[in-house]
Amino acid sequence: MTFAGTLPARRPLPRILVADDGRHPIEPAVELDHGLLLRDTDLSVVVARAASAPIQLAVDIDTVRGLGADEAAVEFIVRRLGIEIVLTRRSATALHAAELGGLALLHVLAFDSTGLHRSLDGHPRTAGVGTVVSPGLVLSHMSDGELASLSRPILGYGLMTEPDDIDGCLAIADGVVLRPDPARHYASMRGIGARPEGNVLTTVDAR
Amino acid sequence: MTTLAQPRPALAQPRLVAFIDRLATSPCCAAIVGEGPLTAALASRVPIVFILRGNGLELAPIVERAHEAGKLIAAHLDLVDGLRADHRGVAWLARSGVDAIITSHGQLMQAIRDEGAIAIQRLLLSRRSHLDTAITALSRSAPDIVEILPGVILPQVLKLMPEFGVPVLAGGFVRTVEDARTVLAAGAVGVTTSSPVLWDWEASL
Repeated sequence: MTFAGTLPARRPLPRILVADDGRHPIEPAVELDHGLLLRDTDLSVVVARAASAPIQLAVDIDTVRGLGADEAAVEFIVRRLGIEIVLTRRSATALHAAELGGLALLHVLAFDSTGLHRSLDGHPRTAGVGTVVSPGLVLSHMSDGELASLSRPILGYGLMTEPDDIDGCLAIADGVVLRPDPARHYASMRGIGARPEGNVLTTVDAR
Repeated sequence: MTTLAQPRPALAQPRLVAFIDRLATSPCCAAIVGEGPLTAALASRVPIVFILRGNGLELAPIVERAHEAGKLIAAHLDLVDGLRADHRGVAWLARSGVDAIITSHGQLMQAIRDEGAIAIQRLLLSRRSHLDTAITALSRSAPDIVEILPGVILPQVLKLMPEFGVPVLAGGFVRTVEDARTVLAAGAVGVTTSSPVLWDWEASL
């Protein structure tokens, strides 16, 4: 069954997704084009975040403890919780999220060129399914042909800490995943959210 | 946070010393996935050929051919066909004559050494959390050499890691002389690459 077309147009991918495991709830400042990526966390935290987080959410569905990666799980995330961005290593999961009107991002591992090509073999290459590239740092070292083989939107994910590296990745990708500390550092170095109250990323209680 | 430490006592193994010494003048090793590249690799300057694909049960003739050409052979236990990444698989490769065995399974490092081969542990790094677990894993497994992938980002990765005192090879997306120079300057003792353009490169040039 296809739900495509019954939901509003897919939201664009935020430029920055701040990784959130639920232990230290965070809320990036409004100046940052941001969202939260829920990963390595529990299903109950995902539900709590969906109910309370004031910014756009994404979920790395394969890393949520207690949550499957089947159609029921995808429908729960996209339709019930309203989390429209779903990262997964499974093509079928990605396809289903896209069919529901979500933005699916298929995780590919880019350790070397051979592995990248093999990883991309399973990409459905259809509307609504983009690509997560891990580690994101490697994007700036890919050939034009390799970059052209990645379905957009592209999300760089992993090992980015320095602002220059983040900028380099964002010059190629549509978004990046950052841990809270590098995100805070990046925002301060680029003059984003440098307000008297200090922290660009403000702790909030989302549990 | 630093780059690499001095070689560990394990480097005293004659076979390992010879392996590292060969990289000093020609630090680029050929990473091959088939017979075609093998011929080119054997005709090149590379000191060591890394076999990443193929039939692991039929490697002996290839190893013999490589040795006749003056090359050392490292075979990837996890990627070749026909073998399981366990002690018996290690023994099979070692008795095929390979000089080094690569695997991501740290628990096999001692078994590889026991078979007389050089133990190379492959670290696949995609997230920061992997770095923390990798250091713990390395302290337990004590490989002779670590191969880090993707190697092209080695300079950034090493800044995030504590000193771990094991020689490092960099593999993955290292395709140009500039890439090779950068990762060697960061502390790698060698590079594994499928790019033939680097197979005849001499670091001293």
